[in-house]
Amino acid sequence: MSIKIDIPSYMKSSTDNRGVVELNGSTVGECLNHLVKQFPRMKKQLFSKDGNLFENIIISINGESAYPEQLAKPVKDGDEIKIVLVVGGG
Amino acid sequence: MLTTNERERYDRQIIIQGFDQEGQEKLKRAKVVIAGGGGLGSPSSIYLAAAGVGKIRIVDHGSVELSNLNRQVLYWDEDIGKKKVASAIDKLKRLNPEIEIEAIDETITEANVSRLVAGFDLVVDAMDNLPTRYLLNKAAVDRNIPFFHGAVYGFEGRAMTIIPGKTACLECVYHGATIPQGKFPVIGVAPAIIGCIQATEVIKYIVGIGELLTDRLLIYDGLNLKFTELKVKKDPNCKHCGHLRREDRK
Repeated sequence: MSIKIDIPSYMKSSTDNRGVVELNGSTVGECLNHLVKQFPRMKKQLFSKDGNLFENIIISINGESAYPEQLAKPVKDGDEIKIVLVVGGG
Repeated sequence: MLTTNERERYDRQIIIQGFDQEGQEKLKRAKVVIAGGGGLGSPSSIYLAAAGVGKIRIVDHGSVELSNLNRQVLYWDEDIGKKKVASAIDKLKRLNPEIEIEAIDETITEANVSRLVAGFDLVVDAMDNLPTRYLLNKAAVDRNIPFFHGAVYGFEGRAMTIIPGKTACLECVYHGATIPQGKFPVIGVAPAIIGCIQATEVIKYIVGIGELLTDRLLIYDGLNLKFTELKVKKDPNCKHCGHLRREDRK
């Protein structure tokens, strides 16, 4: 099982400047947990203290929104997860 | 009917296939609210004025500050300290004296948002914060006014077009998500690109040409120069537009 995770530009400093990380997992939550194990600084970027995904993060699986229950969404070999930040500036 | 002067002013766009004089006349009859006269409102208002949108209302309560000038291209060094709406009207009328431009010096709130968009055909989201975007989204949905979302951060941007009752709205996508308020980083070219995309969508919608940016959030990543999309669906339980779907089913 190989899942690609697309890292936003503003989080790449937490992934040794890697824009794409390949890892394993059967759900979005598992993949993100593996990402955090590999790059511990990603934990503060993605999760609140109570372990929930920050509300300003939208997960995309193969270009489609994974909302709701984003962490529970299943993924399969070859899928691409994208971390999309909600932005509000103008 | 277009005047001789208007036919000459808009000649290069009138000759676009599918645009024609009829499209230009639609633009002339259109009334667009631009909510926010900052980094996004500057390019969108400039290009909508240049394109010949007949009536533009800009709403902003700020005054021009030196730190605005890296991105808010409606304002120049000589405008520092002036009200943004006064400076915006001055610039846009000098660009195109043949259209009507109205500036409202108010902060958009829950109390006035409905009044500010009433009577207009389209609303451009050129705000600098999410809470006011949600107010505008709801007001646009409630009044059945197409809403053109844009937002930026650093070198990044987002854009989406919302047709109330038919396509996903901002609340369907963000579900009321909040982000910390305050000073955000931004390079001027990011709102320039997103503001121009919003203006492109407005023109397309009015003229009735092309395919709109609906049910997909455009994600612009300037640092990697990539455009990607997030496909989204209208949420039947959406707090803003869910009731429209139910009505549609009747």
